[in-house]
Amino acid sequence: MSTNLTIILKRASKVYHEGETIAGVAVVESNSEVRHEGLSLTMEGMVNLQLSTKNVGIFEAFSNSIKPINLLNTSIELAPPGKIPPGVTEIPFEMPLRARQATSPGYPGLLETYHGVFVNIMYNLKCNMKRSFLNKPLYASCQFFVQYRQQDPAPLKPVRCEINPATIRASSTSGGGSRAPMPQFQIYAEINSTVCALDKPLTGKIRVDECSVPIRSIELQLVRVETCGCAEGYSKDATEIQNIQIGDGDVCRARDIPLYMVLPRLFTCPTTTTVNFKIEFELNIAVIFEDDYLVTENFPILLLRSW
Amino acid sequence: MPVYYEWTSAKKSRSKHNCPSFEVTSYPLKANVITMKEHSSNSIIDQINKWSSGFEEVDPLLRFEQMNLEEDIGALEVEKIEGVNYSKAWSTRRVSILNKYTTGEKLTIVSSYLPGGEKALIRQVSNLNEKVKHRLEQLDDFDESSVRKTMGLSQQEFVTNINMLNDEIKKAWESEQRVKAFKIGIQCSKLLSDISVMQFYPSKFILITDILDTFGNLVFDRLREKSFGLNNNKTVHNIDSKTVPESAKETCQNWMYKMASIRELLPRLYMEMALLKCCVFTNREEIKPAITRLTTMIRGIGNPLVAAYLRIYLCHTASKLLGNESEAFFYNNLKEFLHEYQQIFQTPIRKKYEMQLLTQDKYLNLYVPAVDWLLFGTLNSNKCKNSLFDELLQQCEQMDNNELFLCCLVSAFDSMCVIKRAPKILDMIHSHADKMVMINEVLASLGEHLCKADNYRQNASESLIQTWWKIASGMKSTNHFLQVLEPWLQFACTHLSTQHVNVILRGTIRYMIKCGKPADEFSGNFQFVIKRMLKSIPDVEELFLMDAFMPLVELVQTSNARTLMAKAVLSIFFSRYTSVQIEDPIVISSLMRLCCILHDSINAVTVEDESKICGELINKFIQAVSYQDDLERQLNFYVECRSSFIKLDAVLITLVHAVNALSVRANTARGKWLQRACAAYCFVTVPSLHCTLTKTQLYLLSGQVALLNNCIGQAEANFKALIGLIPDIPDYILEDGQKKPTHVKVGGILSDFLSTLLLLPDNVDGNCKAYILSGFIKTMERIHWKRTEPLYYTTLLHTLDLLCELTQETYAHHIESVLSNDKLYGSDSEFIDVLEKYSTNICQELLIVLKALGDNKETKKQYNLALELFWRVVRRGDLKERPMLSLAANLWMLSQKIQDSNNKIAKAIMSALQKDNNPHVRQLLQKLDEGVKNT
Repeated sequence: MSTNLTIILKRASKVYHEGETIAGVAVVESNSEVRHEGLSLTMEGMVNLQLSTKNVGIFEAFSNSIKPINLLNTSIELAPPGKIPPGVTEIPFEMPLRARQATSPGYPGLLETYHGVFVNIMYNLKCNMKRSFLNKPLYASCQFFVQYRQQDPAPLKPVRCEINPATIRASSTSGGGSRAPMPQFQIYAEINSTVCALDKPLTGKIRVDECSVPIRSIELQLVRVETCGCAEGYSKDATEIQNIQIGDGDVCRARDIPLYMVLPRLFTCPTTTTVNFKIEFELNIAVIFEDDYLVTENFPILLLRSW
Repeated sequence: MPVYYEWTSAKKSRSKHNCPSFEVTSYPLKANVITMKEHSSNSIIDQINKWSSGFEEVDPLLRFEQMNLEEDIGALEVEKIEGVNYSKAWSTRRVSILNKYTTGEKLTIVSSYLPGGEKALIRQVSNLNEKVKHRLEQLDDFDESSVRKTMGLSQQEFVTNINMLNDEIKKAWESEQRVKAFKIGIQCSKLLSDISVMQFYPSKFILITDILDTFGNLVFDRLREKSFGLNNNKTVHNIDSKTVPESAKETCQNWMYKMASIRELLPRLYMEMALLKCCVFTNREEIKPAITRLTTMIRGIGNPLVAAYLRIYLCHTASKLLGNESEAFFYNNLKEFLHEYQQIFQTPIRKKYEMQLLTQDKYLNLYVPAVDWLLFGTLNSNKCKNSLFDELLQQCEQMDNNELFLCCLVSAFDSMCVIKRAPKILDMIHSHADKMVMINEVLASLGEHLCKADNYRQNASESLIQTWWKIASGMKSTNHFLQVLEPWLQFACTHLSTQHVNVILRGTIRYMIKCGKPADEFSGNFQFVIKRMLKSIPDVEELFLMDAFMPLVELVQTSNARTLMAKAVLSIFFSRYTSVQIEDPIVISSLMRLCCILHDSINAVTVEDESKICGELINKFIQAVSYQDDLERQLNFYVECRSSFIKLDAVLITLVHAVNALSVRANTARGKWLQRACAAYCFVTVPSLHCTLTKTQLYLLSGQVALLNNCIGQAEANFKALIGLIPDIPDYILEDGQKKPTHVKVGGILSDFLSTLLLLPDNVDGNCKAYILSGFIKTMERIHWKRTEPLYYTTLLHTLDLLCELTQETYAHHIESVLSNDKLYGSDSEFIDVLEKYSTNICQELLIVLKALGDNKETKKQYNLALELFWRVVRRGDLKERPMLSLAANLWMLSQKIQDSNNKIAKAIMSALQKDNNPHVRQLLQKLDEGVKNT
């Protein structure tokens, strides 16, 4: 005599924009009649922030984990107390997706869904079936994703750079003084735009004009920089989202090798700055030589939800 | 029944014979013999195939191949695409790559989805506790996260493992573990970055891309099912993304995102190609830009070999999706390849393959399938092949290390284009000849193209050959030299005079001697060269007239290689030789030499089939050699042959036949001694044969020929020998490995022999009349043949026939110039008496046989024999005599007793008798009637 409760959204992608209506059904599946004390549906959006242990002490990180920011919280009643017949019962619902009225200054409104390390922005639909005293209430939840509406594309901001022994700072080479002298190399890199649309791949090119030692790999690293701030202080952390190889082995000299990276969903969102936290992104180009010698070049990038 | 009947033969009067007759010059019943050459070496198998094809099952291996092909085509090309069938072209290449690139080296596979491998070490397990621990560890080993390296795999084991992975992908997919399938796909494509055993790389590529195709198809099929339900006939070509439901699109997008986040470049590219066809679910227009992008992204692959094969897969995928529209991508990829071409020749790469003990030409050969595939597509797109060829050739000329590209160019373009530019290509080769690596490949394929030229201008081909020779004679590797020689020699044979070819052959001999190694090391290639030349030269006979040909053929020293060579030369020569006879003494002596080599190779351990083939070849030679009217030389030739080919019975038989034929050809006037010599030849040759039956046949034939030529002594000797052999004839002989009864043949021989005896004049010096015949009869008595054997009593009947005929005043036929017994004895009574006595004995013996048959209850045989004998008594016996009459009557009674008179033969005999108005016959009939009434 089990009863199952699930939420099914009409839209397969589960992606919604502000102002749209979220439509779907709550499905009750049971082989006997279900008696309940009311079926309600709650829509909520949260920003969870966490301080990293690197910037503050462990104790503080543990105690001072910042209060989550509530972006959205509405609920409706799907069914009044009553009975649900055996079999599969679908209860349709519709809820408008609208931001809570701003109550405090600096309140960000609806933000895009984002899964990070220290910052998480999540939206959930929760269905709750209250039942009589003896039975446990039934819960079902379903995540949905919020995206900004597409803006007009921003003007391209291409960047070019040359990488050679003269242009790099000693600190970016990962060794100490005991290492062999730096090899001779001349690399040209270009990113078509540092302002990128999230739906579009990040493109550019890199060219190895000259290199005295064999190259092992050329990699493209996408990094998020999350900053969490509160009254006690703030933390800023850069962590890798994904690392993609674009050159494998000792590539041909003086050939343009395309840079191409599809931005992962969920782990990226438009570059965001609010009072309490910031989400920014950076791109690293890394050239690794045969002897593990590593040369990187860093580019801050701006992500936008645009066409 | 009286036991003894005295035989008396009836004398026939010839005067009764009143049929119209006229004289003829040739024997009217002789079969017409026409000598002609058949060119049907291939026909018999073809014929058989033609008739049996309808019934036959396809060879199981072939069937698998066909199934694969159908699967491929079925999945992707239901919609007919115009132009070139890429999937077919691919599958032929696929097979040839798998066959060509193999290795004996140990291979390594890295995967977490295969059992076994390094981690699963077998340890000494001492106590229970350890045992449990060990077991648990083993269980852990199947955990997905542990990547195992399996080393030291043979090629076959490697293939098995790859196939296991292929199955694993399908299994995982079916058990809803899609991510696992995806991971297996990634791991497999990672294997392609491992170039540790390079010579196997092309085959490895094929095996692994098969897995990737499997994976791509699984994803595609699932999306299709999700979009259009289980049974639908949608293909890549007719899916409209507008009709695809959003959930399927979402799934497709998810796969794409998953694929795009693969860390390593090579697996990401391979997986994207495998999943490329899924783009049709989201947006078909994305395919072409994606291919363009992938084309440039491959630049990131540092190893040129890995990159080249990646390009093949890209183009293969493109051709499956776009058909003819993909051809531009082929060209783009070719251009990309040419940009990175010099990468192949760089020092770090050279170090890598030299570490694996690969020579440069072997290494470059690994690229051939890749460039070939790229050129294949490029060529199809371009309408104007000539200008494309010029353009590429131009590019080729300006490149360093152009051999690989040049080689592929020459083999990819059609002969028309290549032939036109042959001098230019040859010049290009000539100028780089000293450091070119794949020179043999280039020259060989250029040569092959030239062979297809219908008629190349005479002087141009001369200069071509000269330039070629300059390059070829400087080649270091003998194998390469021979490889190149093969097509070019054909070109020379078809386009240049014999002198030119001879010069080349001489050069070849010089080269072979100079190279310092015995020619036997190259006997395989060498044979190809010779075979090719034999097949291509317009007139095969001319070859033997070149002074360099035979020395070239005999350049190989070991007997085995020589035999193979001789066999090849002879069989091709005879299959191509058009006229019936060989007359040229040089050709004859060359062929004789080859035949001797062939014959000398036969020894005790030679298999039967082998010597049969040799025998056939030598026979062809013997039958073809002709000295026209110089019969003496012809006989000398046969004598020489006998001494040379003594080991082969088949050849000796042919020789006997040939000599007999020669003997008949010799006319009596000046050939008397020749005929004697021929007869002596035969008489001496036959005993060395092994098969008694054949010996008997040949004795008979030789005796007949001797008789025909009036060499009575020789004929008699032959017949005597024949009679001596009769007891030794076995009941069964082995023929093609089967036991076959001999009695039919023996019966035929004996009756032929008996009828010949009618013509043979008796040996008057002998102490008995009818010398040979009496010898025969005595032998018959001596052999303990089973009485009831049909062979026995039919022979007796035939002897009886002969004896009766011998008593006639004039015999039925004669040989001109041979004095037969009728003339010799003139029906001498002493002679007749001897014959009658024999007849009586034989008749007696036959009656005993009749009784024996009756005892054995073989009534049918008994009945037939009784009738036969009855007929002989009536026709050949003299019914005037009482014993004959009563014998006839008794025989008839016997036959009637066994079976009713309704039998056809009995009826026919009876009606013939009733028409006869001979008084004795009437008397017999009367007696028969009485007999019937009495019973």
